Amino acid sequence: MSLIRDDSSPAPLLEVKDLSLEFRTRDGAVHALEDVSFHIDKGEMVGIVGESGSGKSVMCFAVMGILDAAARIASGTANFGGLDLLSAKQADLEEIRGREISMIFQNPRTALNPIRKVGKQIEDVLLRHTTTLRDNLRSRVIECLTQVRIPDPERRYAAYPFELSGGQCQRIMIALALACNPALLIADEPTTGLDVTTQAAIMDLIEDLSASRGMSTLLITHDLGLAAEYCDRIVVMHAGHVVESASTEEIFRAPRHPYTAKLIAATPQGARRLRELTSIAGNLPDLRRSNLPPCRFSERCERLTGRCDKKLVPATVAPAHSVSCWNPL
Amino acid sequence: MSDLLQIDHLVKKFPVSSGISWLAQLRGKTQVPHLLHAVDDVSFEIRKGESIGLVGESGCGKSTLVRLVTRLLDPTEGGIRFEGRQIGLVAAKNFASSPDRATIQMVFQDPTDSLNPRYSAFDTIAEPIRLLGEDRDRQNLPARVHELAAAAGLPQELLARFPHQLSGGQKARVGIARAISLRPKLLILDEPTAALDVSVQAIILHLLADLREQLGMSYLFVSHDLNIVRLLCDRVLVMYLGKIVESGPAEAMFANPLHPYTRALIEAIPQPAGKRAATRISGEPQSPIDPDPNVCRFYGRCPKGERSCHESAPALRPFAGERWVACHFPELHTAIPEKTDDAAAK
Repeated sequence: MSLIRDDSSPAPLLEVKDLSLEFRTRDGAVHALEDVSFHIDKGEMVGIVGESGSGKSVMCFAVMGILDAAARIASGTANFGGLDLLSAKQADLEEIRGREISMIFQNPRTALNPIRKVGKQIEDVLLRHTTTLRDNLRSRVIECLTQVRIPDPERRYAAYPFELSGGQCQRIMIALALACNPALLIADEPTTGLDVTTQAAIMDLIEDLSASRGMSTLLITHDLGLAAEYCDRIVVMHAGHVVESASTEEIFRAPRHPYTAKLIAATPQGARRLRELTSIAGNLPDLRRSNLPPCRFSERCERLTGRCDKKLVPATVAPAHSVSCWNPL
Repeated sequence: MSDLLQIDHLVKKFPVSSGISWLAQLRGKTQVPHLLHAVDDVSFEIRKGESIGLVGESGCGKSTLVRLVTRLLDPTEGGIRFEGRQIGLVAAKNFASSPDRATIQMVFQDPTDSLNPRYSAFDTIAEPIRLLGEDRDRQNLPARVHELAAAAGLPQELLARFPHQLSGGQKARVGIARAISLRPKLLILDEPTAALDVSVQAIILHLLADLREQLGMSYLFVSHDLNIVRLLCDRVLVMYLGKIVESGPAEAMFANPLHPYTRALIEAIPQPAGKRAATRISGEPQSPIDPDPNVCRFYGRCPKGERSCHESAPALRPFAGERWVACHFPELHTAIPEKTDDAAAK
């Protein structure tokens, strides 16, 4: 669980180091990620939190090797069991995706094939990645559907996505992602657009299944409250930088980066009155700019000092708690 | 406080196809009219200057109720009284030209989809004034638009921009400026911050709270984010499958929900680790098509469901502290039932 490990501790399941990524556009390069580093251990649930545009999804797409053609990885490694995912061959990635690393996408309705029965879509994954015999396919699919607690799985096997509710579709997505027992699940805003009751059911399900399989989960969300309930550790991102990383308990008890503190104060969860709810001044900086300051939060920050124009170095302020700020709280 | 809006036993049923093909119908099979009960016998009132929250899962009839109140849909039965006048009888298609149109306005859910992409921010805000505005506003249109933009916190230099040139928060401000341009008395807010980031959400919530104070409007705030409802609303209505299952002051309801569904909703709000609620409701709501009138709508998902719950549907009953609950087994820890004589008054 600690950021600085001694040699005796086991290697993390996934370790992303100094990942920098840019998109080439007509208006110049968009510096989407810069020196992003984090890791996830076996069986851990890590939350990646930040505003929209902070680079959370792009980072996952980079790890999965499903980036847009305009993206260029400038530097960095993503070590997954000895293989660098960022420089791996497509053929190797195709073996890993779906079997070792799976992803749940944001909008289940658009991520599922609308004109294929959901049971068949799960069969596709099983056929590609496992040695399940054709005769056993159907029963395996029904097993998968039962695991994600879809009522009446025999009948749902033949359903099309439009016949299912949003929560049911998300369960199908989870069944798809977990069909091959992956070691790492990346859940990109799995409950956005769902009701609170459905959100709770889906998140409980992901948590239960992760725990029972010893699977690691990377939860991408903009909802700090959600990350607080389910994650062991939280990584806060802002404008393509990792600004803070600590255990969930610590990040809420003693946030050190000004942005983390502001984000917590802007979350309606804890506020008793509307007056207690504060906003974060300004917007994310335009990532196309060539003169981006070393600290991309500096233009919104109230704790600006003379040192803030120097290159940031993540500092370890407590065991397993690192922060990228020259003037932490 | 006097009542601004009174909703009286409002019902909206939509006919749905019976599933019998036209060929079968020609052969003599008769069509049984199936009805989807979107809003079923709903009564409540909004007082002047009050902020009411309307919560419930998707598909519970929130949007239909809002469309009835804004007079975009005609009710099947029941009355809608606005400042004592019956407006439920005006056909929806005629309401657009009615003088009451200006007094009930709405802020829509998605700030991008609800703005005309070919209108500049100025034109978007000016459009309702051009159509329905008072003479003094129409004659001083630019001045009035600038005043509204200032009230909504939109910088003047952004008024010439089109929606695609504005950020999410700025678009939300345009939508709010447009909604208050006719000095409405009732503003209906349909998840106004659902598409915004937390950092921007806080600003918009503060803006809405300030505007209500300055302009003396009443709010009907539709949301499934209970945290926001708790912070912004005086009173809350909880809706489940077309019925109101609980209503009461926001603070009391969040502290001590009486209906098991309200409790489930509140407990589904993510909590920091360690404080996890034990009860979760599972499953999906019953079908809203031709529901059995003698079964509680929540039966089947309810942790308390007993025999009486599918023998008679519970009616809204009053409890101490202006609270109303439709449940045979309300969670009475502190609340004491009021005399049933009051039930007739409702």
